Amino acid sequence: MQLASLRKYPSPAAIVLATSMLVGGILAGTLLASAEAATLRVAIQDDPDALDPATSGTYTGRFVFAAMCDKLVDIGKDLAIVPQLAESWQWSADQKALTFTLRHGVTFQDGEPFDAAAVKFNIERMQTMKDSRRKAELSPVAGVEVLAPDQVRFDLKTPFAPLLSVLSDRAGMMVSPKAAAKEDFAAHPVCAGPYAFVERKARDVIRLAKYQGYWDKEHFGYDEVAYFYVPDSTVRLSRVRAGDLDIAERIAPTDLKTVRDDQKLKLYVSPGLAVSHLMVNVGAGEKANTPLGKDARLRKAFELSIDRNVINRVAFNGENTPDNQMIPPSDPYHAKGYPMPGREIAAAKAMIAQTGMSTVPVELTFENSLTDARVAQIVQSMVKEAGFDVKLLPLETSTAIERYLNGNFEMYIANWSGRGDPDPTLYPFFSCEGGQNVNKYCNKDLETVLDAARAESDVQKRKELYEKATGIYLTDLSSIPLYHPNWFFASSAKVEGITVLPDGLLRLRDVRPVQ
Amino acid sequence: MTEPSVISALPDPSVNGAAMNGAVPVAIGRAKRSPRSAASRLAREPGAIIGGGIVLFFVMLALFAPVIAPYDPIASDWGAVRLPPDLAHPFGTDDLGRDILSRVIFGARASLSAGFVSVVIAVLIGVPLGLVAGYFGGVTDIAISRCADAVLACPFLVLAIALAAFLGPSLENTMIAIGVSAIPIFVRLARGQTLAVREEDYISAVISQGVSHPKILFAHVLPNVMPPILVQATLTTAIAVLAEASLAFLGLGQLPPAPSWGSMLDAARQFLLDAPWMAVSPGLAIVIVVIGFNLIGDALNDVLNPRT
Repeated sequence: MQLASLRKYPSPAAIVLATSMLVGGILAGTLLASAEAATLRVAIQDDPDALDPATSGTYTGRFVFAAMCDKLVDIGKDLAIVPQLAESWQWSADQKALTFTLRHGVTFQDGEPFDAAAVKFNIERMQTMKDSRRKAELSPVAGVEVLAPDQVRFDLKTPFAPLLSVLSDRAGMMVSPKAAAKEDFAAHPVCAGPYAFVERKARDVIRLAKYQGYWDKEHFGYDEVAYFYVPDSTVRLSRVRAGDLDIAERIAPTDLKTVRDDQKLKLYVSPGLAVSHLMVNVGAGEKANTPLGKDARLRKAFELSIDRNVINRVAFNGENTPDNQMIPPSDPYHAKGYPMPGREIAAAKAMIAQTGMSTVPVELTFENSLTDARVAQIVQSMVKEAGFDVKLLPLETSTAIERYLNGNFEMYIANWSGRGDPDPTLYPFFSCEGGQNVNKYCNKDLETVLDAARAESDVQKRKELYEKATGIYLTDLSSIPLYHPNWFFASSAKVEGITVLPDGLLRLRDVRPVQ
Repeated sequence: MTEPSVISALPDPSVNGAAMNGAVPVAIGRAKRSPRSAASRLAREPGAIIGGGIVLFFVMLALFAPVIAPYDPIASDWGAVRLPPDLAHPFGTDDLGRDILSRVIFGARASLSAGFVSVVIAVLIGVPLGLVAGYFGGVTDIAISRCADAVLACPFLVLAIALAAFLGPSLENTMIAIGVSAIPIFVRLARGQTLAVREEDYISAVISQGVSHPKILFAHVLPNVMPPILVQATLTTAIAVLAEASLAFLGLGQLPPAPSWGSMLDAARQFLLDAPWMAVSPGLAIVIVVIGFNLIGDALNDVLNPRT
């Protein structure tokens, strides 16, 4: 009886409590709103790992660095290299030395000056630090020479054209040598960017505040930036719609209509550098011993039985970029001579018949995400018509990645983030000893072309070399690229000045509240 | 939804309490007479009729799915993606252009087979262990009971998820994971009942006649501990159906593209605003089946519990 009556009529105490909480909440909300008037609140999908450019390995980590840590050079529109901490640069005649002239009057966020010695310190730190993830990227650098306080020269072991592109990412981020000497640098990072680190609550929020000594601070419209960890894309969008947050990264393609229909929101779209591809095991262990792994004709038939436009339409509401190459069409190095083939079931069947088979069994492994699961089912259903019997094997992410790295798969939906230069995508996947070459594909002719492209600094000649490389890897087809994901950011209409470039980072220059 | 069910999965305290207090359990003669009278009393329980009707309906759907379903549940129509319900597709189509009605019908196979098979696994392993523990007592009892307690200490669904993730995704592994997770429920129940039955005069009588232990256990103890186990098995089936849906929702159940209600809900999650019909029919199917099993379980409990 007692219980039942309590449920029906809340006690006076409960009413008082609820009311006070409500009033308190409103008061607190008003106070916060006035105090944080110039705070930009950003929703990010993952909690970043270590906030140290040398050891960071996550996309959202780079997202935070974009506000905190300036780089020697940056990527501009059309993936061109533009000045940032370095004002200009000069290649030597033999392409084996690169000299930077540094910007004057730049200080780190702890007030220490940024100079050539700091550049040398940073590059050597990233090359020698125990947990550094930049070692491979910087391996072509033989040494760094301080020529003058504002002049520094990178000496290379062999000509390496992608170096500038490497320095436009984490490898080019300069941290304060004084702060880096401390043990817990990643907990209190100090860089030379527009916003300085304030605090981090693990799996919750990272707060930055404007660095008043920044050389270009007039172009930054917010006093503070806070990055909130919100893993679900729909929740990120809802919170921006509710006015609780200002910007959400990586909106699901299926939610874009909501953003477009909402007057209070703005949508930012940019082609991305990433690629999603079907990797076929052609040489790694027992699982390479399949009809598809042994016969390039069957892989071509597989490609011809897929309709990439349908995958894009059904799985992504037509919002991504279907393509047959590892390098996206928005990249100047995309090979124009190899357009995306359409779906040709008759041709695919004929090619299977040539090999003397009628049904070709394939096991398709993928990480158990909604996106990959949907793509896998669409692919399975499409290639069935041509005679491929695809068995789906969805695995929990860490298990799947472990199998991927060990080459323990017949076919795998691989997702690669891409880079601003074609070399860091093509070389790891297609050179015989490449770091991402987990399916053990090896073609010496292709490797020769990739090596030549690496050493070539003339853009036109490099384009020709990559055109040739594309022809080779599309013939061997050890990987069947499917699509390039695009970047979709949603922001409140109260924020202006956002531009999203193909690397998908949030650059805060010129971003400000609408007056 | 899960929480109350899990609680009800624990051995019914009233049944156990009765056993501990030494209340008169089912007598030997009555065990032989009870099935017929129980069946006729069950037939008069409205809960049993409704629940039975629901379960029978879905069993029929599962058995005759290929005949009943209007479409192939895994055939995609790329021109008919996420269509709202209409005459051609009464429940609409899903994110890959497949008929949802057909998928719900075929999904009944995964749900019901997981429900039945996992409970059979749990009963076949759990009940004999509980019988042995309760009948022999001593070290045997301590060993079995403590193991069961240790497993029970881990929440049912968490254990099932861990097992399913360990075994790899497939419907068979889901059944094993749910079945193994449910074993201790039956161990505890069977043990408690056996403890009470063991003290009865008729057991002392057969022991003094020199009847072998296995024969006493299975011919004399088992029939007398069966009624509460039957009730528990029915209720556990409801939990198992729900657990299968949960595991499939997490991508640990039936492999795609074969339909399972849980994985259908998972796919629908992204389109709750755009295409709510994708979530409604598999969700309703789960609710109805679980209610059906719970109604039967409650009715069985009313009929078989000697105190009522």
